[in-house]
Formats: sequence, structure tokens, C-alpha cells
Amino acid sequence: MTATAAPARLSQARDRRAGHWPGTLIAGTALLAIFVGIAIAAPLFGNPLQQNLIGGLTKTGLPLGMSWAHPLGTDTLGRSELARLAFGIRTSVIVALVSNLTSIAIGAAVGLAAGFFRGPVEAILMRVTDIGLALPYTLAALVIAGLMTAGLTRVIVIITALFWAYPARLVYGEVLRLRHRGFVESGEAMGASGLAVVRRHLAPHMLPLLVTYSPLNAASAVVFEATLSYLGAGINPPTASLGNMISDGQDAISYAPHLLLVPAVAILAITLSFLLIGEGLKSRNPDLARVSWLGR
Amino acid sequence: MARTLIRRVALGLIAVLGVAVLAFLAEFVVPGDPARAIAPRAQSAAVLQNIRVQLHLNQPLIVQFADYFASLFHGNLGTSYVQRQSVASLIAPRLVTTGWLALAGVVAEIILGGALGLVATLYPRVRAAVTAVNLTLLALPQFVVGLVLLLVFGFRLHMAPVTGGAGPAEIILPALTLGLVGAPWYAQIVADQMADSLSSAYVRTAVAKGLSDRYILRRHVLRNVLSPALTMIGMDLGAYLSGVVTVEVVFGWPGIGLLAVESLQNLDRPVVMGTVIVGAVAVVFFNLLADLVRMYVDPRTREEPA
Repeated sequence: MTATAAPARLSQARDRRAGHWPGTLIAGTALLAIFVGIAIAAPLFGNPLQQNLIGGLTKTGLPLGMSWAHPLGTDTLGRSELARLAFGIRTSVIVALVSNLTSIAIGAAVGLAAGFFRGPVEAILMRVTDIGLALPYTLAALVIAGLMTAGLTRVIVIITALFWAYPARLVYGEVLRLRHRGFVESGEAMGASGLAVVRRHLAPHMLPLLVTYSPLNAASAVVFEATLSYLGAGINPPTASLGNMISDGQDAISYAPHLLLVPAVAILAITLSFLLIGEGLKSRNPDLARVSWLGR
Repeated sequence: MARTLIRRVALGLIAVLGVAVLAFLAEFVVPGDPARAIAPRAQSAAVLQNIRVQLHLNQPLIVQFADYFASLFHGNLGTSYVQRQSVASLIAPRLVTTGWLALAGVVAEIILGGALGLVATLYPRVRAAVTAVNLTLLALPQFVVGLVLLLVFGFRLHMAPVTGGAGPAEIILPALTLGLVGAPWYAQIVADQMADSLSSAYVRTAVAKGLSDRYILRRHVLRNVLSPALTMIGMDLGAYLSGVVTVEVVFGWPGIGLLAVESLQNLDRPVVMGTVIVGAVAVVFFNLLADLVRMYVDPRTREEPA
């Protein structure tokens, strides 16, 4: 590895200059663009709340299979599965984008503050981060869920409350690595205020780390939203979420497995798009290959 | 070494205490009246008030807080509102049940992940395929993997029970779920560490000495995988013992996660608190244990981190 690392890195640097995008990055971005498109255009796929207990079910009351009128069939209440899928995707995409921003922003702020201001600030912030990392995730989420009414806000608050600690740790480690480097110390020696050093010299160095981490964070947010909604602690029916669609589909597991599989494939594809972007970014910047995925 | 240990234990205890305080505050502002949950059909206000007095729910929050933590420091997790049993006696058997699942899950992860990592390293031709498998497994939530396994092996092939419960036949699918979802992490560790070792000077020396490939692999390469894998195993055992909530819900595995979900629904605050605290202790304890074992097997990690 040591022998080949240098040329590999040189060629990578050349690739970056030439604006070369690795295949994984292209595939991931394209896939994500499709899902963002579906999220925006969700209303075009039909009304996800329109129940049709007569025409939307078979004579014996079972969900319909695929047809021109209902490309993905109907669910147990005769609602169009395609429309519900589109709105479920919309939910996932919104949760991924918003909670990714909020959790990383809070985590980065905590990590920067703890790493730069030594002493009691560092001690308190990092102990709080330890608590955040020691929380049993799902249980903590269920407890927080009990405090709020169901909906997008609840999911975003829960994910932010649980997901900020890991990036805080990442950023903190990075600041520790950098804070004795020349450019930080010379900035301080020149009499720059602490805030200026953080803003001008430290924060920009965090960008590659955070950009690489964010698609992985977004992927875990999608998974976690689905999990919460599956457990009834996220977005509740009738609002569509991929997680609560699976929960509904579970009741029909023995006679209409597509109600389970369709949203499952959607979750897989959305998460995969983020993971591919993450892999692509990592391969462009081998220094960051150690940035790993946090959630399950 | 001793100083590191004391420091780590102290930090761990602070984290557990913090989790407990947070859980207490969250639990006691949850809307809902436990007295109502205990006696849903009680007509008279006096009955409900009686229950509240019995459970000290009529006292100010600060008094309840002090009482709870005073008994917690005496090792007492309190009494369940609903089941009239001590929380510890409710949790203990559930913890054992979850422990079996956690153990089986970690074994499945090591086998599946180890195989993926080994194949990817030793057979470069299939590396892309292994990466694809890894990414797919990473992208799937636990409950989705569990439900698909349940659908295929339970409902279609009738090879596994679908009724829930804890037993040797019932453990297979949930353990496989944990194994599949966790495998990519182990595969990554194995592949990274093997790549590092294979390009190292000591492996070159071993080759130059004329040792067999098999011997080098066993003696010089795979040993280095152990150290980071131990950290991962510790993290997983801790996380799983804090309740594999979704897997337990999907398969009806009567572990601590399922107990927590039931207690949340019943507003059985002492039990919820107990599961959260036990979970935090598990996370902290197994991370620490893994680090200690790692320091023992891998002298490079013995230095105190800066």
C-alpha cells in the first residue's frame, strides 16, 4: 500500500483537477435526482389519501394487483399504492435533507467549540457528546416521540437530537489534529480573536470532512425515519411514509406481499443513492476513507 | 493503564448518569396519566387519586426526582406501575433473552462479514460484486431485512416459525437479520486490515523467508484483523443489549426492546427508565470491555490517546 499510495494519490489529484467524477458519484447523484424529482412531482401520481373500498379492492376485499389504472396496485384500504409511494418518497427526501443539515450544523458547532476553546467548555461539551453517543438510539427516540405530536417536525427533531453527537466527535477530532498546526497558531499569534481563527482557519478545513460525511448521515436519516414510522413513533397514517407503508403492508404479508416490498425497494434505492454519493466522495479524497457510516 | 481504566470508568458513569437524568426528565413530562393507564375503567376520582398517592405521583417533580435517584444509587430500579413487580426482576429475564439474540447476531455478523471481507481481498475479480452486496446491506433498515426474511422463509417456504417467541428455532431469522445488516462493517474492517498487512514489510519478509501463503495469512495477516474487529464487537454487543427494538418487534422476540416498547405504551415509567439505564450501561460497559481486551491483544493500542 505504501509503495502504491503516492502515485495513486497523484492520479487522484489529477482526476479532481480535471473535474473527474467517479462512477459511484455519478450513479448516486443521478439516482438521488430521480427521487428529488419524484418528491417534487408527488401530487402528479395521484391522491395518496383517496380510499376506495368498492372499486379499489377485489370482490373479496383484497388489495388489487398491478393494472393500468393502478400501476402498483392498491393497498388494504383501496388507496393507490403508486400515489402513496410518491408521497412516502417525498417524506423521506424532506427528512433526509432537513435533518441532515440540522444535525451536522449542531454537531459541527459543538465540535468546533469544544476543540477550540479548551478547559471547561471542552470538558462540558464533550461529556454531553459522550451522553449523546451512549443513548440507546431507538429507545431514546421512542421516549422523545412520546413528547410530541406525530408528523414531519417530530421526526426531524428526533433525528437531530440523536444524530448531532457523531459529527461533533468527528469535527472535534479534526480540530484537535489541526489546532497545533502553524496556520492556527500563527493566526493566534497575530492577535486574531478566537472566533476569527475558528471561522477563517478551522471551519474551512472541516468542509471536506463534513461534505463526505453528510450523504452517509442522510442515508441513516432515511433509514431512521422509516424505522420510527414503522414503530408508530414517526409519521402516522394516513400521511404516507415508507416506514408506515411497510407497517401497513406487514398486516397483509401473507396475501399481498407487494405492499411490503414496494416501499422496501424504495427505501433501499434512496439510501443507496446517498451511499453511492458517499463512496464516490470518499474515493475522490482517500484521506477521508475512514469516515464511516453511523446508524443502522 | 490503571489511570486510563479509572478515567474511562468515571467518564462512562457520568454518561450513564446523564442518560438517566435525560430519560427521567423526558419520561415525566410525557403527556398522559399513569393512574389512568393502570385503572382505565376507574370511574371515581378518588380511586385515581389513591393510585397517584400510592405511586407518589402527587408529589412535586423535584421530590420524585430525588427519590428516584436516591434509590437508583442504592441499586434499586423501582417497581413497575403495571406489573407490581420490581423493575429489576422484570428486566433480568428479558436481558438474558436479548443477550442470546445479541450473541447469535454478533456470531452471524462475524461469519458473514468475515467471509465477505476475505473473498473481496483474496479474489480481486469479485471485489466489485462484494462492494455491491455491502452497499445494499448497508442501505437496508433492520426491520426491512427482518420482514423480507420472515416473508420468504416464514410465509413462503415455511422453513421458520412466524409466531414469535424465544427458542432455538425462533432465533435463526432475527440473528440472521442482525448478521446481514452488520456484515458490511466487518467486511470493511477485514478488507482494510488485510490490505494494510499484505503491503507491510513484515509480510514481505515472511514471503522472502519462504513461508507458505496459508501460514502467512493465518499467522501475520488475520491476527491484525482481530484488534479493530474487537472494538466493533464491543460496540455491537452494547448496542444490541440496549434492545434490538425493531428486530424484536418484527419477530416478536420477547427481549428488553419489546419490554421497553410495551412499557412506553402502558406509561409504565419505572420500567422504561430501567430499560434505558440498563441499555446505557450495556453500551458503556461493552465499549470499555472491548477496549481493554484490545489493549491486551494489541500492544500498539496501549498508549493513552492524546
